[in-house]
Amino acid sequence: MSSSGASLYLDPQIRDWVLFPITLVMILVGILRHYVTILLNSPPKRQSRAAIREQRALLRSQILRATSSNSPLPPTFYKAISASLWHAFHSGKYLKDGPPKEGDAPPTPASILTNPDQMDGMMDGMKKQVVMMVPQMVIMGWINFFFQGFVAIRLPFPLTLGFKSMLQRGIETQDMDVRWVSSLSWYFLNFFGLNGVYRLILGNDNSADSSKDMANSSPFAAAGQQPMQAQDYNKLFKAEKDNLELADGLYSWACKDVELRVLRRYGKLRA
Amino acid sequence: MSAVSTDQLASWRARGTRASEQTVKQGLIVLHSGGYKKMGNDAWSFLEQLALASLDIGRLDIADECIEQLVEEFPGSPRVECLKGIRIEAGDKPQDALNFYEAALVEDDTNVALWKRQIAVLRSQGSHTIQKAVEELTRYLDIFYTDVEAWTELSDIYAELNLYTLSLQSLAHVLVLASQNPFYVLRFAETAYTAGDIPLALKTYLRVIDMDEPDPVQGNAAKRAWWGLKTSATRLLSSPSLPSESQTQPPSAEHLRLLDELATEQLAEVYRSTSAVSQVQGRDVFLAWLSGPNR
Repeated sequence: MSSSGASLYLDPQIRDWVLFPITLVMILVGILRHYVTILLNSPPKRQSRAAIREQRALLRSQILRATSSNSPLPPTFYKAISASLWHAFHSGKYLKDGPPKEGDAPPTPASILTNPDQMDGMMDGMKKQVVMMVPQMVIMGWINFFFQGFVAIRLPFPLTLGFKSMLQRGIETQDMDVRWVSSLSWYFLNFFGLNGVYRLILGNDNSADSSKDMANSSPFAAAGQQPMQAQDYNKLFKAEKDNLELADGLYSWACKDVELRVLRRYGKLRA
Repeated sequence: MSAVSTDQLASWRARGTRASEQTVKQGLIVLHSGGYKKMGNDAWSFLEQLALASLDIGRLDIADECIEQLVEEFPGSPRVECLKGIRIEAGDKPQDALNFYEAALVEDDTNVALWKRQIAVLRSQGSHTIQKAVEELTRYLDIFYTDVEAWTELSDIYAELNLYTLSLQSLAHVLVLASQNPFYVLRFAETAYTAGDIPLALKTYLRVIDMDEPDPVQGNAAKRAWWGLKTSATRLLSSPSLPSESQTQPPSAEHLRLLDELATEQLAEVYRSTSAVSQVQGRDVFLAWLSGPNR
């Protein structure tokens, strides 16, 4: 049997009873996922005053240093603020649990598992991933059970023979063109393609989007998120002390020689 | 009529306009006709806007109606708590408001809106609570350092209490946070002058002039800075060794003289008669002052 080009004729009932139902079910499940995610969203965790202060303490010295080379502050003011920040970082005044006491072993950054706040954050993320995964598995199982063993559509684009095993699962032929595929591949096509439809129905910020899902579940993303949560503020503060000293060296008051600039600008002094 | 009202109200909401009389007038129509129910999610912001506007003009009954509906819909919401607090402030006893805020802050101690309202009430009660207001505000700023409005408020409180050095220090933080705004620099200069640090004031006035863009915009900071320059230059010329708390070096006498001349010219320019204004009132008096007894 020669490889059939366009000579296979598919029953239109396949279109009515296979393609449309699968697409419809996927759209509805996507919308369901979106609303379940909204319901599962817990309100942001409330942080204590000390925790907020600790998080924002670095910002203070960064703000001071940002303008240090053309600073609006006179020297005495700048040095006073810089010195007080330096001492605060040195003594650990801004740390959430207060400055480390004498004689304590240097505190190890709390591991993620023992810190209750971060644990909750992780559980939240995992719950969301489960909501994404489970419907996908269920639908794949359903399709495999009901819609197996026949050709569903013909792809409009050609593919290499490598795809045969994946796209024609259940149809054991050797010579059939790879463009004739089973219904599971229709599922995959829908999976990647319905994002546009979701964006139309649910608006831009929907949780039925599979592209964000992929990014979240890749191992790189997970590794990127975790170190951020267990930051050791003590070390960061100590590092910031060096930055403060550097900025001190670069410091220059904006009003230095300002009288010369103004006089020149208005022509009272030759340039 | 109703369609126009809701659009107008929405634009006021977006811009934070405080047109309370008109808001209440139009808002009342929308409220009583039930039109706000058709606004969807905007209905709640509308109720909040109407509540605040009616508290502003003293119509506590309307405010109560709005707040009742909001409480029903959003029990325990921090935003609604703040609104309830403001309603209590509008009542007779300020101590009630303070108690309310204390209790609410015990439950939720990082609610910025509540905390700031508490500080505002403490400040408005005058001398017996101003100390506590300053303490609370300082504690607030220790945590939320980047709040420029709060730093200017602190500086204002200190200035009211005549603690000009502390006021200046608060303004220093404002300058670091908003270094491009000439009006804050001008305020720094004027506070320095009031605190008695004339060389610092002079330098800072010069900085305002330096920052000024040559743009004929009405009400820019430079005109006031020329005034400040004139007054501080004449003072330094008459008593050259004024003490400076910030140890600022004043410019040399020659430069001071030139600056004085420049300031005089610029100020005379302001009072010049133009085609729009044929004779400026008080010009003679002003010119006499300019070349005044200091010379």
